[in-house]
Amino acid sequence: MTHSFARLVASAVLVLGTAPAWSATAWTTDAATSKLTFVATQAGGEFEGRFKRFAPVIVFDPADLAHSRFAVDIDTTSAETGETDRDNILKGKDFFAVSQWPGARFETRGLRSISPGGFEATGRLTLRNVTRDVRLPFTFKPGADGRTAVLAGGTTVQRLDYGVGQGEWTDTQWVGNDVRIRFELHLEKAAP
Amino acid sequence: MPLRNTAENYGSLARFLHWTIVILIIVQYFLAETADELPDGLEKLQWLTRHKSIGMLVLLLAVVRILWKLANKGRPTPAGTGMIKKAAAAGHGLLYLLVLLQPISGWAMSSAANYPVTLFGWFQFPALVAENHDLHESLEEVHEALFYALVAVAVVHIAAALYHHFFLKDDVLRRMMPFGKRSG
Repeated sequence: MTHSFARLVASAVLVLGTAPAWSATAWTTDAATSKLTFVATQAGGEFEGRFKRFAPVIVFDPADLAHSRFAVDIDTTSAETGETDRDNILKGKDFFAVSQWPGARFETRGLRSISPGGFEATGRLTLRNVTRDVRLPFTFKPGADGRTAVLAGGTTVQRLDYGVGQGEWTDTQWVGNDVRIRFELHLEKAAP
Repeated sequence: MPLRNTAENYGSLARFLHWTIVILIIVQYFLAETADELPDGLEKLQWLTRHKSIGMLVLLLAVVRILWKLANKGRPTPAGTGMIKKAAAAGHGLLYLLVLLQPISGWAMSSAANYPVTLFGWFQFPALVAENHDLHESLEEVHEALFYALVAVAVVHIAAALYHHFFLKDDVLRRMMPFGKRSG
């Protein structure tokens, strides 16, 4: 983990930890079983990649959406697609430019219920120092034990909105503009 | 020329498949070499994508060629008698096997690296193996070794065809030529 990424996480934890107004439940995320993946298109074919390191801060109560919020810091240096050459291009200056911007961040601005167990977050995704509004539908499934839950969802973003793909890589015939992001977080209630 | 094979002669479909596969395999060599010389980037992706699509086309055509051969009961048998005939049949079998294994090894190699394999972007083939870095490295060597094996067997195949044509002066080469007619 890079120092700047660790700092981002620490500050996010600090901000949430010192906010007295929130009554909604705070959750910790099991890093070993939780996933943050993306499906991109290359030469007309799809492949899946993932971020190995990301730090979600989840405060969520389906009965108290007004005081619920998420913030996720994503370590873009941890992007993996299963092939070293492609990983290097992805982390390189034309895509994530991790040496300049090693982190991406998503934080919610508002949450609403759209169906039983189904919600939609509106929030902001910052990637490569570009911030855009994103809608994020997700489901919240509480475990039978009352202590755990699974938060899963995803959205589609256009990589070029964030400048992911510079120069020759702005071509969307060979590398598709749409990137599907999926997450599955295994949560446990944080100790009060 | 009839579409189907006869006991003495290859039909037009078998000839078309034979020569299309030959041409595509030669093209494949140059596409791979071109991609290999390029640094990682969009151009390399483009050449490799063409190589992969044409490879999958070769695989499909080879499957059609083999099915068509089996569907044509009265197909020509290898020339010669005894051991020579058996060696020729074994050589042909080996050629079919290599023409199948070459694209399959490439397909698996792409899958092991989590690279999608499509037919010109029209549709995507499923991954043949799970993502695995070490397997990808091994398959890269297998893919290259298979090519040398294919060239070696093809050289013997061509030499045998020319030997029939120029020394034995029979119809063995002519029966597979694109517009060849039997001498008599």
